[in-house]
Amino acid sequence: MKNHLTRIFLLVLSIGYVGILKAQTPSDDLLMQKREFCVALLYDAGSWDQYWEGARLRSNANIGTLSKKAVTSMVAYGITNKINLIATLPYIQTEASGGQLKGAKGIQDLNIAIKGEIFNQQVGPGKISFLATGGFGTPVSNYLSDYQPFSLGLGTNEWSLRGILQYRFDNGIYFRGAAAHLWRGQTKVERNFYYNNGAYYSEWMNVPNALNYHASVGTWLFNSALKIEANYMGLRSTSGDDIRIYNSPQPTNKVEIDQVGFFAQYFFKDIKPLHGFSALAYYSKMIHGRNMGQFQNFGFGISYQFKI
Amino acid sequence: MKNKYIFIVLALGLLFGLSCEKELLTRADYTDYAFAGIDEKGGSWKPILLSGASQIVIPEPKEVTSDEYKTELNNVKLAMSTLNTAQREKIAYWTNNPILRWNEIALELATKYNLIPEPNADGSYPVPDAANPGKYPLFPYSHPPYTCRALAYLSVAQFDGLISAWNYKFKYNRKAPYEVDNSIVPAYAKTALPAYPADGAVVAAASRDILIAMFPLEKDYLIAKANENMVCLTWAGVNVQSDLDAGAIIGSEVAKVALQRAGSDGMKKAQTPRAVSDSIKAAALNRFGWQWDNQETPVRPVGLAPLFGKVKMWNVPTVEEVRPPVPPKPGSAEFNVAVQELKDIAKNLTTEQRKIANWWSDGLNTYTPPGHWNRFAKNFLIKYKFNPLRSARTLAYMNMAIMDAGISCWDAKYYYHYPRPIQAIPGFKTILGTPNFPAYTSGHSTFSAAGAEVLSYIFPAEAQQCQAWAREAAESRIYGGIHYRFDAEAGLTQGKNVAVYAVNRAKKDGAE
Repeated sequence: MKNHLTRIFLLVLSIGYVGILKAQTPSDDLLMQKREFCVALLYDAGSWDQYWEGARLRSNANIGTLSKKAVTSMVAYGITNKINLIATLPYIQTEASGGQLKGAKGIQDLNIAIKGEIFNQQVGPGKISFLATGGFGTPVSNYLSDYQPFSLGLGTNEWSLRGILQYRFDNGIYFRGAAAHLWRGQTKVERNFYYNNGAYYSEWMNVPNALNYHASVGTWLFNSALKIEANYMGLRSTSGDDIRIYNSPQPTNKVEIDQVGFFAQYFFKDIKPLHGFSALAYYSKMIHGRNMGQFQNFGFGISYQFKI
Repeated sequence: MKNKYIFIVLALGLLFGLSCEKELLTRADYTDYAFAGIDEKGGSWKPILLSGASQIVIPEPKEVTSDEYKTELNNVKLAMSTLNTAQREKIAYWTNNPILRWNEIALELATKYNLIPEPNADGSYPVPDAANPGKYPLFPYSHPPYTCRALAYLSVAQFDGLISAWNYKFKYNRKAPYEVDNSIVPAYAKTALPAYPADGAVVAAASRDILIAMFPLEKDYLIAKANENMVCLTWAGVNVQSDLDAGAIIGSEVAKVALQRAGSDGMKKAQTPRAVSDSIKAAALNRFGWQWDNQETPVRPVGLAPLFGKVKMWNVPTVEEVRPPVPPKPGSAEFNVAVQELKDIAKNLTTEQRKIANWWSDGLNTYTPPGHWNRFAKNFLIKYKFNPLRSARTLAYMNMAIMDAGISCWDAKYYYHYPRPIQAIPGFKTILGTPNFPAYTSGHSTFSAAGAEVLSYIFPAEAQQCQAWAREAAESRIYGGIHYRFDAEAGLTQGKNVAVYAVNRAKKDGAE
């Protein structure tokens, strides 16, 4: 139960992308026990100086380097030993080093997820487990989704369903995979005409649904005080248009991401005054994409876990 | 077990959420309608470019009692008896006033081609080439001056073509198929308009040819659209083939006349070489002591269409007579007041101001401000059930006024060559991208005031609304941080002054 913060890693990563992913539901195998709380504060710094316009990686000197900083507060709670509730709320700030366009800042989306363990059993030299999460996210400020690449997010509701499968050896090494479908709604923009492979006479834009994949391999060290992990995250919009040449992105774009990263978390379980605290840090980089800034992110955070 | 309930709740939530989705319109939502009037005297109205309504000649039609006509009529009945759903949808799409659809098509193409060229690897910029339209950057780059001009020629050709059509309609008085044979039930509202030549075919052919010239890469698409428009007139039971043929002659001929003017109106020279651009800038510096410089990286060496201000105007004898007064000198008290306003707005931008800035932005990859006003105009044409001739007249006078306003505005922009706020105010950031041309006067304000003035004349009951829109469009550029208040105010006055010429001409064209 000490390693529940793995999930935050993915949450944090997700808000690092130009808001395309928004916050995600947890994709790890972990659950807190009944009436156990975890609160966390996380800092993420993401930036890109190149972006994919369709499939073509390019730069734009009038953006220069786009940076996106986020502070996310999170709370997780064990409803039962098998069902957890997780809520996150990020504050985001964006700015560009080039050009004269103003950045954006504000609270993004509130995300709430319920995670349940469906199966967990010893098989051979380890345990196999299967979990499912359902999530819902919604904007909680009036940020403009149609102000890309500065927008805080996609400005729409998102429902998600995710399945998580893990095999964890008794010696601490684990392999985990997760797959999710993200249903996005429509986002209201501040104009009633736009182009999306044709003219649209509406104040609303369709935000494409997406498939989201995670894969990780990791291990526990030092008597389960330190966890390290290498991971991959993939995202595929199931529809959408490409950014047109030298034009701004918009929420209707078809987004693809392949990203790799490292993650480490230390639990102060043997240091009395810090008991219940953990610290985490991570780094990730996109290696392939479509209609997306090539983000490089790093982040760190602290958490405190307690029972009522 | 609890998991099951959770998933049921989530699934219901998902269904609920998705059921809230709005239908997104890709075109104006209207159907055919009964015209408020048919303008029997329309053939005597004064055309814009044609010498008169009979300059273009069409053959005298066959009598409805002739064998030729009966054969055509039977073909119509045969086609109508086998219509499938797709064909019926096309009939419903085109309606009995295709002026509206062709304007919509023009706006969509303007949007599609409204992309600014990206820099080359060496920091230079390529320029679209009309002689090689398919090579990047595609021709045209349909920025506001380009778009307002395309719309003006489109509307003027439609208008002159329909005056000609009206002349022959009432000269020959050949009835519509459904009047000749009352077993025919037309798909469109019945009208007392004679059918020869087909007004829909005039519009289709003229629009096709004008838009092919303006958007050459869309030739195949436009030909297909025009053919579809025309065949729908027979499927709808409102025209026979010879009605279409005669209408197509008028449409093609009037387009030639309009394109001849377009070929020599000076637009080809509007985007100047660097040397000319530099000399225009030097003249302004010499005259006023200031100059506008592009602030992009890499710097665009030539502003947008520096000589658009020299393009031939429709209704204003000389561009100088509508040129606005000299703007406040940078650093003067009046200038400092305007700068302070921009700083204050940027610092405390309200949600409402942000929305107004974005609502009127009409920037790259949109139909531009002239497109926005064409959309307003179409809504009024539908609301007041204008027939195609009167619709074309409205759009022709509005788009001539808007193009003249654009020419006048560009004349001021490059004559005064006034710096933008991002150039004049150190560290100033904006929520709208600053366009690649000088500040004074505001294009949005000038275009909008001109559009509002003509629409106020045609639709007096909407005048207040139109003026309010123009005012808001002007303010929007201040909220966006890309124009000083004096750019907007001068632009509103300028646009109105220019449009008065168009309105005065309209008052004398015989339509009142």
